[in-house]
Amino acid sequence: MSDFDLATYAPQVAAALGLPLQEAHLPGVLMNLALARRMAALVESVPLTPQDEPAPVFVAGPAK
Amino acid sequence: MSVAALAAAIRSGKRKAIEVTEERLADIAARDPLHNCFTEVTAARARAEAAAVDARVAAGIDPGPLAGVPVAVKNLFDLEGTATLAGSKIERDSPPAARDGFLVRKLTEAGAVMLGALNMDEYAYGFSTENAHDGPTRNPHDTTRIAGGSSGGSAAAVAAGLVPIALGSDTNGSIRVPASLCGIWGVKPTYGRLSRHGSFPFVGAFDHLGPFARELSDLALAYNILQGEDAEDPAQAFPGIQPARLDAEIGGLRIAVADGHFARGGHPEAFAAVAVVARALGATRTVTIPHAAEGRAAAFLITMAEGANLHMANLCARPQDFDFATRDRFLAGALLPAHWVQQAQRLRARYRAEVLKLFAEVDVILAPATPFVAPKIGQALIEVDGEDIPVRPNLGIYTQPISCIGLPVVAAPLADPVALGTPGGLPIGVQLIGAPWAEATLFRVAAALEKMGVCAAPPVRKN
Repeated sequence: MSDFDLATYAPQVAAALGLPLQEAHLPGVLMNLALARRMAALVESVPLTPQDEPAPVFVAGPAK
Repeated sequence: MSVAALAAAIRSGKRKAIEVTEERLADIAARDPLHNCFTEVTAARARAEAAAVDARVAAGIDPGPLAGVPVAVKNLFDLEGTATLAGSKIERDSPPAARDGFLVRKLTEAGAVMLGALNMDEYAYGFSTENAHDGPTRNPHDTTRIAGGSSGGSAAAVAAGLVPIALGSDTNGSIRVPASLCGIWGVKPTYGRLSRHGSFPFVGAFDHLGPFARELSDLALAYNILQGEDAEDPAQAFPGIQPARLDAEIGGLRIAVADGHFARGGHPEAFAAVAVVARALGATRTVTIPHAAEGRAAAFLITMAEGANLHMANLCARPQDFDFATRDRFLAGALLPAHWVQQAQRLRARYRAEVLKLFAEVDVILAPATPFVAPKIGQALIEVDGEDIPVRPNLGIYTQPISCIGLPVVAAPLADPVALGTPGGLPIGVQLIGAPWAEATLFRVAAALEKMGVCAAPPVRKN
């Protein structure tokens, strides 16, 4: 997991989403993003195969 | 008096539902200002429902197994005519609910009397019920301490004796954490068992609803009444009504203690509680839940992303109206790279498959419910293994890896936390974890623990 600059990343992504980020909220947002980055690194530490499908499974309708 | 005994007294005409209701309303008026469990007391509704119960009894009609029993619900359940707050300021602008939520209807159809709505962490995103809009709910065992969350108002109302049964929700631990910190029973059923229709969502993939009670028999009674098919919950996988029984028959059950992730990161009382329960059950083997920490990390990311997506419009339009404790997490959740969340959903499926394999070898897994007893209100950090860590996210360290794969859990309170040596004699609980749909097995183990005197709601000492 790259140690990218969250202070640069957060306002850019927020702008892309049209999400206004207030100056006062930024320290808390960055702290939580840093925590999420640690969690993502933990998730990434488990190697998965192409056969590992995501947990939510779509069902077209009840089987006839 | 158990709920069944109270209902029996009302059904037989020995007691009037309206008298019980007036007694509860007076008690709530006198004592709830200290505990801060209720955000709304539905007194007029309660009086009308109680009068209807008494009228049925007078007419020779059975009002049901919860006849006249006072109940209350976390304020994310729809109550007809009341705005569903979900702990927020924002939803105060929402129109009143048009009808009761499914589980509320189940309770009232069984004769229960609805006393009101209970405090919670905003939008259920927290483990402490220190709500910036409604104030903190205070733990009945020590009012300087948190009740846990996010269903803290529900757990504290039951522990304080304001109501015998309350409903809560559990996305990452929000029934099991406050049940542990308040020293009462709670059940987080299998994902998809109980309908969630008519409740405010948080993370659709993880949201569960369930009851709290001081008496195990009351918990089982409520759990049985709440079961029912509901086409309006898209995630319900109704297996038919499968009632819990308290026959305490556990011969032949294979019970093991979770090690690894569940044996570190907490204070000694969390592990002592598990050891006492394991000893009583004769459980000598341990089992490793593989990738629990990584599964928890996946749950953490999915929660952030789903929660943020749900509240995006308000995060854009009125971020200042969120509770500061949830706002920054929601905002950060909106910014997660898609890859992180998708990888988390793939790992979650792998993790579930690995854990399900364990149930070929064991029937019930024991784990701590919380890493420590209730922290002080306002306490941000707590020392674990010589390191100061944040209180709030770490309260769910043992619950989060279980709910994200939907396993049923009974949270069982240790009967004698003083003998256990917990700090201040404060309560703590243990998770009894089963395979999907194995709630009946968990209730049997709970009944055995109650019969042995190991698990029960410890009495609340006077504050």
